[in-house]
Formats: sequence, C-alpha cells, structure tokens
Amino acid sequence: MKIYRTWNVKPYALVLPALLLAVVFAYRPFVITILNSFHTVNLGGVRMQFVGVENYQRLFGSESFQASLSNTLRFTLFFVPTNITICLAAALLSNREGKLATLNQIFFFLPMAVGLSSAMMIIKMMFNPSIGIINHLIGSDIQWFNDPKAAMALLVIAGVYLDIGFNFLLLSAALRNVPKELVEVANLEGAGKMSIFRYLQLPLIAPSLVFVLMTNIKDAMLISSPVLILTEGGPFRSTQTLVYQMYLEGFKSGNYAMGSAIATVVFLLTFTILLSLLHLERRRVYYQ
Amino acid sequence: MKKLIALSATLLSLVIFFPIFYSISASFFTYTDFTSIPARLFSSAPTFENYRRAFTESKLERFLFNSLITASLGTVVRMTISVLAAYTFSFFTFKGRDILFVLIVATMLLPSDALLIANYSTIRSLRLTDSYLGIIATSLLAPTHIFMLRQYFKTVSPEYREAAILEGCSDTRFLTTLLIPISKAVVITLAIHSFSTIFNDYLWPLLVTNREAMRTVQVALTMLGFSENLDYGPQFAAITLLMTPILIAFVVMHKPIQTSVSTRFTGR
Repeated sequence: MKIYRTWNVKPYALVLPALLLAVVFAYRPFVITILNSFHTVNLGGVRMQFVGVENYQRLFGSESFQASLSNTLRFTLFFVPTNITICLAAALLSNREGKLATLNQIFFFLPMAVGLSSAMMIIKMMFNPSIGIINHLIGSDIQWFNDPKAAMALLVIAGVYLDIGFNFLLLSAALRNVPKELVEVANLEGAGKMSIFRYLQLPLIAPSLVFVLMTNIKDAMLISSPVLILTEGGPFRSTQTLVYQMYLEGFKSGNYAMGSAIATVVFLLTFTILLSLLHLERRRVYYQ
Repeated sequence: MKKLIALSATLLSLVIFFPIFYSISASFFTYTDFTSIPARLFSSAPTFENYRRAFTESKLERFLFNSLITASLGTVVRMTISVLAAYTFSFFTFKGRDILFVLIVATMLLPSDALLIANYSTIRSLRLTDSYLGIIATSLLAPTHIFMLRQYFKTVSPEYREAAILEGCSDTRFLTTLLIPISKAVVITLAIHSFSTIFNDYLWPLLVTNREAMRTVQVALTMLGFSENLDYGPQFAAITLLMTPILIAFVVMHKPIQTSVSTRFTGR
C-alpha cells in the first residue's frame, strides 16, 4: 500500500470533466428516471405528485406494455442465437489462408461501414413485398411489413446485419489467436473438424464469445431505432419493443411518467440479465 | 472438404455483402426501375441523375457538414477527456482514486437509450436543443475508452513518468511526446470507433434537432421526402455516397482493423 502523498488539485482537475459528465448524463438522469416513475409529471418535465406504484400498475395492466415486453423478450430470444450462429459460422468458415479467405473476411465486416439508418433504408426497400428484390429472388410473396411473424423475422435480419461486422471481427480475431500448432497436432492425431472446434477452439474463444453474448443481449433488450425506421412497431404492435414504446410515451404522447416507468423496467431487466450472466461467466469460463 | 468450406464461406459472404451491392446498383436506377415488376438488380439505363438530384433537391451538403462537424468535434473532445482521465487513473496516486474510477466506469451499466427522456429534459433546460453541443453532449463520456486506455497505460511503468518529471518534463509533454505516441494503435482505433459511433448515431440527434438545418445526415436520410412517391433514387444516391469513403477505407485498411480488434480484446 502506497502512502497518498499527493494531495494536490491536479489529478482531481484532470478527471473532473469525465466525472462531471458521468453525473450529469448518467447518474442524475438515472435517479430522475426512477423518481419520475413514481410521480405524475407535467409536459414541462416537472414532477407534480407522488403516486407510488400507480404508474407501474397502469403499465403492467396495459395491453400495449404487455405486447412490448413480450416482443422484446421474443426478439432477444430469436436474435441472440441467430446472430451468434451466423457470426460464428462466418468466423469459422473464413478462418483460412489465401486471397479468397481475405475477401470473405472483408465482406463479413463491411456492414460496419454502413450506418444504422442507411442500412435500415436499404433493407426497407429490399424487403418491400411487391417491388422489393428479396421476394423476387427467393420467389415468395411474404408480407414482410403486414404479417406479424414476418415483421419479427425482418427485425431479426436487420439486427443481425447491424451487429455482424463487429461481432465477426471479435470472433475471428479470437479464432486466429488459437495457437496454430495445437490445431496441427490435433489434426495429426486424427481429430475431426468438429472435435477440434468443440474441444480446442471453443474453450479458447469462450471469453470473446461471452463478450459477444452479453453485448448482443444488451443490444437486443434495447432495440429501438430499427423498429422506428422499419416497422414503427407494426403490424398490430407485433414489433413494438420496450424502448420504442418508451420513445412513443415520452416523445409522442408527452407522457414522461409512463416513459420513465418503462425505462426503469428496462434498467431492471438488463441489470438482472447481465449480472446473472457475469456470475455464470465467473464460474464457467476460464481465461488463460 | 476444403472446397466445401471455401464455397459456403463465399456464399455466406455474398449474402452479407448483398445490401451494399444493391444500394450501389440502385443509386444508378431510373425512376421506373424502382417500381418495375419483377424487381431489377441492375439499372436499365445507368444514370447519375439521382446523385445530382440528391444535392439539388435536398440540403445534403448541409446535413453532411453537420455530421462531419459533430463527429469530429465529438471525437476530439471525447478522446481528450478519456486520455486525461485514463492518464490520471494510471499514473497518479490520490485520495479516492479507485472509487472515482469505478464511479466513472460503472456508467457502462446505464444504457443511454433508457436515459433518453431524462437526458432530453437536461438538454432542453440547458437550451442546447438544435445545437452541435446538444447533439454530442451525451456521447462525450466513453467509459469503455477510459477503461481500455487505462489498461494500456498501466503497461507503462510509472517510473518513466517520475524520471521525466524529475528531469523537468511537464505532464503535457510526457503525454504528447511519449505516452500517446507509444499507444498510437489503441488511440487511433478508439478515435475511429468514436467517430463512426457519433457519425452513425440516429435516435439522439433525431430527438434533439427540430430545425431542418441542424439535422445530421443519418437522420436526414430517412426524411428525404422522396419515398412517398416511390422515388427512391436520390435516397440511394445519398446512402451510397455516404458509405463509399468508409467502404474504401475499410478495404484498404482491413489488416490493421483486424489486428487492432484482436489486440483490443485480448490485451496484447
């Protein structure tokens, strides 16, 4: 233990900007959000009256919120495994040498170069049921925006497209860090591709995989912008998610108290899931 | 087996690449190409008309300017704040250091999307709506950056700084002539990441800008008022124009990008 010699102002001054921002744009709004959820709030954002858990009672009783909650959980449930499977497949398949492999790799992370709203506009056009290219290419007439199931599938596709670039980079970097000699020895010993993956590569990339899993879950629980651009929650609220409903309540209906109650539910959900995953990670994943 | 893997990798990568290809191709479509049944992959008569219209019929250059200004300004301020904080946390000993560090890094657990409503109230009461500062305000703190930079700075022995200070070197000089140059790779990767995050942000700039002249390009893209009459051309021209520089940069720099990610998350 070192003795704290420096009692001068300098270090405090240097971290002050970061600290100030943390208070103003993270802790204070966090507290205000929780406070607001127990009050009625007027259009100017001023708390009027303490109402206890009334907002939450109204919220959990409303069909709209029940839809948001179940949609968000359903989206997370579909999106996370789909995304991880595709990103892992991309990383494994392109983990080779040669020009073609490099080209494959570049194609896998290029979606990162397309901004969120650009990507959503492209997908919206491509999946247009009548004049879009997708239905024409796969020879179907799926009503991507009018059929609840198809709309959810579309949202999952959009989510994968937004995340694949970065997740691919992470997983493929982890795979490349698996020592080549180990794979060669396993090969000489006659181990198949499947068992090399299962017993050698998978344990070694586990930390990256857990990182991807956690960020995916967090992203999925918070999805809103793609909903806003692609489906606006439709059809029949089938793609209305929690944060999207929060946006509607807060910015379209001016209902800050309800919006804050939804935000609080989102906090609780993400905390619980992330903390339990962290707990699991500590017990099951070993870092070298 | 080898061929099968190469084949499936190529097929999958083409699927992933398709939206980019389609956007580029569609930016040369004529008006009727968009509504033709069956849908087209290539333009019937390639034309630059959409690009011309994107600029003349919208304030595209103004939106681009807004995005470039906010992204550059945001990146510079965010990197400065992060480097200073990470530097202090790794080289200084002072009372409450560890608590302050945890306090800052723990904001990672507070997703900004769930803070939208409260943060919007703050920005409104500070009268920062429709201003560049309002657009970047909530992205200025990057707890992940501070965390990663500190991890990196920690690998430099504190004796270096002590020796430098004894020789009369100032903190500023130590930072700019020694620490930042040797941490170049991390700093550049984080700066690129910051730039693209702020440049591509959608929901927050949508909320804090009401005046058309203050919109960032990502927000404006979804509002280019052509799509009502199935007139998608200018929109695709704008999208393509926007992603091309980044696409080129990614292709040219694919090696450093790939290695920077591996160093970033595996420590070395």
